This record gives sequence, C-alpha cells and structure tokens, in this order.
Amino acid sequence: MSFSRVMALAARIIQQVLRDKRTLALIFLVPLLIMTLLYLVLTNTSSARTLAIVYPTGTGSERIKTLIDSLLPGQDKLHTISISSDQVDNTLKNGNADAAVIFPADFAQQILNNQNPTVQIKLQGSDPTVASAMSDLTQSFTHQLGIAIAALKSQGGNVPSTPTTTLPFTVGTPQYLYGGPQYTFNDSIAPVFIGIFSFFFVFILTSVAFLRERSQGTIERVMVSPLTRVELVIGYICGFALFALVQSLVILLFVIFALRVHYSGNLALVFLVSALLTIGSVNLGIFLSTFAQNEFQIVQFIPLVFGVQIFLSGIFWPVAQLPGVLRPLSYIMPLTYANDALRGVMLKGADFTGIIGQLGALVLFALVMVLLSAATMRRQIA
Amino acid sequence: MKEPEPTLEAGPAQQKQQSNKSESLVVIDQLVKQFGKLRAVDNLSMTISAGETFGLIGPNGSGKTTLIRMLVGLVKPTGGSIQIMLERMPSAKIAPRIGYMTQLSALYNDLTARENMRFFCNIYGLRGKEQKQRIDEMLERVDLADRIDSVVSTFSGGMKQRLSLACALVHGPRLALLDEPTVGVDPELRRSFWDYFAQLNKEGVTIIVSTHHLDEAARCTRLGLMRFGVMLAQDSPEELLHQSGQANMEDAFLYFARSYHVPERS
Repeated sequence: MSFSRVMALAARIIQQVLRDKRTLALIFLVPLLIMTLLYLVLTNTSSARTLAIVYPTGTGSERIKTLIDSLLPGQDKLHTISISSDQVDNTLKNGNADAAVIFPADFAQQILNNQNPTVQIKLQGSDPTVASAMSDLTQSFTHQLGIAIAALKSQGGNVPSTPTTTLPFTVGTPQYLYGGPQYTFNDSIAPVFIGIFSFFFVFILTSVAFLRERSQGTIERVMVSPLTRVELVIGYICGFALFALVQSLVILLFVIFALRVHYSGNLALVFLVSALLTIGSVNLGIFLSTFAQNEFQIVQFIPLVFGVQIFLSGIFWPVAQLPGVLRPLSYIMPLTYANDALRGVMLKGADFTGIIGQLGALVLFALVMVLLSAATMRRQIA
Repeated sequence: MKEPEPTLEAGPAQQKQQSNKSESLVVIDQLVKQFGKLRAVDNLSMTISAGETFGLIGPNGSGKTTLIRMLVGLVKPTGGSIQIMLERMPSAKIAPRIGYMTQLSALYNDLTARENMRFFCNIYGLRGKEQKQRIDEMLERVDLADRIDSVVSTFSGGMKQRLSLACALVHGPRLALLDEPTVGVDPELRRSFWDYFAQLNKEGVTIIVSTHHLDEAARCTRLGLMRFGVMLAQDSPEELLHQSGQANMEDAFLYFARSYHVPERS
C-alpha cells in the first residue's frame, strides 16, 4: 500500500472538483439555501387558528359566556370570533374561521332545566391536518366546559355569577428531559440534513466520477499502473471525504450561527458520523456506477437510493410510527442510523457511547459497501 | 486441413539483434482468447526481444487490441501463457516498467495537460525535480509544450492522442504497448514519433505498437501480420517482402492473407 499513490489520487479528485465551480456551488451553497428555506417555512408552525363561537343568547347566558371565555386558551394560541348562527357556513367558507362551536340560544335555560342541550361543532375540513387539530381542540374545550358546568351545578344547583378561575393546585413549569421550550421542529430537522447532504452529494459525485473513469478510458490506465484496486478505493474515499467533512462543517456553522438552531452535544461526533457515511456512500457510488453506462442512468438511481430513505429513515416521520411492513426496510438504511446518531448528539447531547450502536451500524454499512465495490471492480474493465 | 503456422525465421536484421540482446522480453505461448463464440486470439505464439519495435499490422477485428490488452493484464487469456521480463503474467511487479496507450485517449478531460501528466507521474512514483523535467521533456517531444496548462477538453483529437502518448511514456517504461498511437497525427509529427521510437530502442526500450499505416510498418524492427486472431507471419519488414516476393508491405500482407486459409468464424 503506497500512501503517496493514494494521496496522488485524492489530490487529483480534489483538483477536479475544485475546477468545477458549479459542483462546488452545489456542494456548499445549495445545502445552505435549502436549510434556510426549511427554517423559514418551519418557523411559521405557530400560526394561530381561528375559532368561531355562536354564543348562547337567552336568559342566563352572560355567566355561560364568562365561563366559556375563561376556559379558552389565550388569543396567542387560539384566535376567537363571535358570530351568529346564520353566519356559520359563510364564515367557514370565507376562511375567517377554521371551525365553529355552536351553542343553542337557550343553552343556559336548558342547562338549568336539565334538558341536555346539544352543542354543535362544525369544521371547515378542506385541510385535514387543520380539521383534525381543530376537532381535538373543540372537543377538548367543550368537554372541559361540560366538566366545569357539571361541577358548578353539583355545588349549588346554579351557575355562580363569578366562576372562580383560581385552581386548587399548581401546575409546575414543564420540564424537559431533552431540549427545551425554545426548541422547534427546525432543531430536530437540522441535524438530519447534515447526514442527508453528506450521503447524497458524495454518492452522486463518486458514481459520476467513476463512470467517467470508465467512459474516458482512464480506469484502464489506472488499472495498468502500479496503483492497486485497494489504493483506488481509498484514494476516492479520501478525496471525497474531504469535501463531505468541509461541507458538514459549513452547514453546521451556518445552522448554528446563522439560523440559531439549538444543539446540546459534542459536535466532533457529528463529523465522525459524516465521515462514516462518506465511506459507505463512496463505495455505494462505485458499486452502482458499474451498472450505469452514462450520467443519466446514474440519475435514475436517485429515487431508489435516496428518495426511499427520505421517507423511511425517520426524517419527518419517526421510524417507530411507520407501518409495520415498512419498518424492516428502515433498519437496513444507513440514513436511519445516521439520523438517529445526529439527533442523539445534537438534541440529546449524547456522547460517543450513547451513539455507539448507530456508529456500529454505519461501520457495517461501510463494510458491506466496500465488499460490493470490490466485487464489481473487475467489471469496471472489459 | 490447417497449414502449420509460419515459423519465426531469423532474418539478417534479427540475427544481428539476437546476437546483441539475447533476452526475450516478452514470451507468448499458444495464447488464446475466446469471447463466447468469437475466437479473438487464436493460438498465438511469439517472442519479442528487448530493444526492438514490434509492429502489429492487421485489419480491425484481427485481435491486435485484444492481444495488447492481454499483455498489459486488462484481459484474462482463455488459454496459453504470457511472460514479460521473466514474470509470468498477470504480475503486479512489472507494472511500473510498462507503459500503455489505448485507442481511447484515456485522459482526464477536466484537468490540464500538466495535471494529467503529474497524476500519472505520481502514481508511477516519479517525483520532484525529475518529474518536472520528464513532463517538460515529453510535452516538448509531442509538441504540446505551449498547451501545457490548457484543459484537455479544449484539445483536438490529435492533440489528445499526443498527450496520451506522452502520459504513456513519461515514467520511462522498459516496455511500451501502444495501440494505434499515430491516429489523427499529421505526417511530420508522425515521423518525429517514429524517430523517437528508434531512439528509445537504442536506449533499450522495447515497443509493441499496432498500426494501420504501412509506411510505419517499414520502420519496425519486426512485424506481426494478424488476421482473425491468427499471426499470419512475423519477421522483419525486409524478410517479409522477400518471402512474399512483393514490392510493398500492402501487397505482402495480402499475399500472406491469401496464402493462409483462415476458415470463416462467426
């Protein structure tokens, strides 16, 4: 094994990438652009919803209204408007409210007479996520209202004029085992994107570079030279690992200082994960490029290699919540373990032993890929 | 019935050579390469002495390229054996002493001429001052010194060919295998290449070169005429002309091709 030959190859790869300005922009600028867009989009998750309420209007309704208002969450969490019963459908249609709670006009009287009035909830419905959230919210709210009214009734058979809002117990400030109230969805997404970008770009660059070695005929020159196959693979790993690590550094610095993403743990471990991923994806790139005759055929591998992992590696949906039939697939994907490790480090402050299982899985992935690329190396030439 | 293969007759030029250099650099014994039904190289035997330029002449599909690729170790023979510098092939030991030039220009199109040559020098262990010297010298020889820092993708076909030859020889190999090195090269430069080959021979470098140009054939020490994977004749150019009784190499080739009945193969 000649260190100088390996370095000569790594140096050549670095030269080639540096000369290609577009690829450099792709590796360094595109991830920052995507992270920024994600950040801006995801930071708006706290947009308050609007609830329209048709308040009861008959005798005794004032006290009910006061009770209702005291049970609603603050205006910053839920915006409420008061409408009349004939305005319900229009209000929902116009988008002025996401849902409506409709109290019959003689609600207070019916309560008094134990007539069991019906409170109607109506949801706008065109966005199922919103509808589901509003359904939960209104049902929980009306349930609370019911409990409050029932409790008050059992006290004195009547709704008191000023219902008490002081609780007989105190709720402590929520404590967090990991993270904190300032952590947002962004903070859980940022770490995994470091893994994704490492994996994706290195895979693409390696498979295209290797394909070009074949189509340009340079692979034959290299095979005839003293450079061994092992040195060839290691040279490629070293060359691309440099870019992967620099990319990870750039992204990390950007998300921490520019986007102010929160993190807990030892960031050196982030680079370790990135490096292991790179070894695996370089070899995957070499392996798959054997089956491609041109760059377009390599592009065809992207949905298979990469698209599937976006869905199944726990980026947006936790692996444990995936349908049972898909979960085994998640467990053979490198990004599943990389995401777990990266989140473990950045959100839970995990140390080396904390992510040792995931690191082991990534090492295993790298080994399997090395074997595959070695097996197909013979096929690189006639 | 198959005629016996033409034996290696030692012509006057050869006898002189053999008395000077008795080592056979390359020994090929009953080499066969089968690609499915196609017999690309058919029971080929020959020896090549150090310091000679051995020309492989033949039409496309005659097996010249396959033979060369087996010699450098890119293709595994189906049968027979190859010995280079006393090493049974395949052998990684002699890789530093072999230079190879393919028909594809085999260059990194996104790098400059200098960067290409630097890379090949580095993987052959040529470093530092010596590397710089050799690069400048070789590029001078192939007339690309003024384009040393140009990116290869801007080169014409002929320029790529010249750079490819420079890359094949820059590390000073003892045995150079060149597959059609003068394609796309103008006649004046072609002549200077062959002058260079003659000089390399004097320095003890052995060259195996395949070519379509029959005027280049005349400059080889010995020639091997190939057709359908078979060696029709191998001898010095003078001897071949003499044996065939023809006036030029083209007719000599046709003579040997005709007098050797090769059954049509799929």
